[in-house]
Amino acid sequence: METIERLAAENAVVIFSMSSCCMCHAIKHLFAGMGVSPAIHELDEDPRGKDMELALTSLLGPSTASPVPTVFIGGKLIGSMDTVMSLHINGSLVPLLMEAGALWL
Amino acid sequence: MANQRVGETGLSASGPSNQAFGYGTHGHGIPSSATNFFDQEGASYFGELEALMQGVVGIRSDGDQKVAAAAAAAAFVTNRPPTLEIFPSWPMRFQQIPRGNSLSTESTDSGSAQNTISQLGSDSPVSKKTSSDQSSEQQQHQQQQQLQEQQEMMVSDVSRTGTEAAAATNHQSRPQEKRRVAGVRDGRTLDAKTLRRLAQNREAAKKSRLRKKAYVQQLESSRIKLTQLEQDLHRARSQGFLLQTSAGASANMSSGAAMFDMEYARWLDESLKNMTELRAGLQAHLCDTDLRIIVDECLTHYDEFFRLRGIAAKTDVFHLITGMWTTPAERCFLWMGGFRPSELLKVLMPQLDPVTEQQLVMICNLQQSSTQAEEALSQGLEQLQHSLADTVASGALSVGDYVGNYMGHMSMALDKLANLEGFVRQADNLRQQTLHQLRRILTIRQAARCFLAIGEYYNRLRALSSLWASRPRENIFVPDEGTCPTTTSDMQVIHHQIPSHFSAF
Repeated sequence: METIERLAAENAVVIFSMSSCCMCHAIKHLFAGMGVSPAIHELDEDPRGKDMELALTSLLGPSTASPVPTVFIGGKLIGSMDTVMSLHINGSLVPLLMEAGALWL
Repeated sequence: MANQRVGETGLSASGPSNQAFGYGTHGHGIPSSATNFFDQEGASYFGELEALMQGVVGIRSDGDQKVAAAAAAAAFVTNRPPTLEIFPSWPMRFQQIPRGNSLSTESTDSGSAQNTISQLGSDSPVSKKTSSDQSSEQQQHQQQQQLQEQQEMMVSDVSRTGTEAAAATNHQSRPQEKRRVAGVRDGRTLDAKTLRRLAQNREAAKKSRLRKKAYVQQLESSRIKLTQLEQDLHRARSQGFLLQTSAGASANMSSGAAMFDMEYARWLDESLKNMTELRAGLQAHLCDTDLRIIVDECLTHYDEFFRLRGIAAKTDVFHLITGMWTTPAERCFLWMGGFRPSELLKVLMPQLDPVTEQQLVMICNLQQSSTQAEEALSQGLEQLQHSLADTVASGALSVGDYVGNYMGHMSMALDKLANLEGFVRQADNLRQQTLHQLRRILTIRQAARCFLAIGEYYNRLRALSSLWASRPRENIFVPDEGTCPTTTSDMQVIHHQIPSHFSAF
């Protein structure tokens, strides 16, 4: 858990992902399309991956299907793909990113 | 009288040969070659036949005609190979032999038997007259009765079970049955009852074999028919009879799909009602508060639609992603199992005028963000497709050890397929959020017009699908021009040109 928090605070946008996950690929593409370059941590390539997965699952709650992808913006937990998309559609994602310093006008 | 004496002299335990000799002397014409035949084991039935023949001969006192006939028959018997021991009716008849005065003629061929019997039948009244002995007349009476019964029996179905015939003959002949006479041959004592039983068993077995064979054949043909019907049904379903009905009331492959189609049909009816209300509200120029209720009702109705979609994505994602839940025209624009939000926005933009500048900006932002989200999801789906293709194709496809880890690869592919549900769910989420955002951007009246416009747009697409399905088509397989059922003038122009191409048909 501390690892997660530590890693999440390191960058403006942090994504916990897995190299084999296609939804993670989608979310990476979304941020790249907006001009954001997030810090990506592939859990399947990390020795502590399993623990981090468990920590993320407990963070996200029981309703989420998968622990990845999980997005942190400005050190704060944002959530999974659907949360990110909802934020983007209602126009709040970009201000968040700008606030965190991931985007400049 | 003479017969009786002969019958008695014929009695012995040693076999039919004595009988034959006994009758032979009486009948003057039995070829001696017949006796050789009786030495064989397998000739037991033929010995029986021989005895019967002798019995016939014994009755006849007419003369050479009958003797010749009997001789011919006997010769016929001896010349036949000892394989035809399959006449079920023989032993039954055999009990009619008593004292060897049987009127029945069991030849090796039932046809000829019938002939000879009819011969006998016609002759028996004659022989009856010629008999001088009262007791023998009586005997002959009884025997004629038996003969006539047997005639009937012979003429009737040979494959009939022997029980009825046996019962009839039993009834008639029991008083006359002389066990000593019947079936003494080759040292084995087989009385008439045993023989009859054996024959009945044979017949019954044969009948049941035939019945079983017929039944099995019937089952096989029904099974083939059933599998063909199933194939036809499957083919028909997969080709999608959705053209006929607008709301997918046709058969579906899975119950999840069927459930969704049913729910969707109901949802469509409800949404039509909502649209009518919206239209009425707009035309009546209702105040905002009243209109708001209707608009919110519409939005809630869309939420309900996405809820149903969520359930369907879990039960049958392919039904959604292939667009089988919707009409063909809508399917043209299919993206991730539904409409593409940015496309819908593009359609709606001109309908929403007049809008404020701020609203315009927001709508443009909405369009841009939805496009980006759509792009991201499409990219993710594409990667899923590549990954799935790699997994399915892993290992040699054509030659080599592709059997090796087949199930392993298959289970990996299954796991990857499971991700489809996630993508459809995210796409639905995108659509739902777009609609909600629209509601937030627009005023009540604009929102009312917006939802009305969306409803009307898809109604038109659905109508387009129905029109397309029921459009007049030329029957291009018609060989001659006159029978084409086209109705529109445009079609007719093309129609005249086409038959020339298909004249080969």
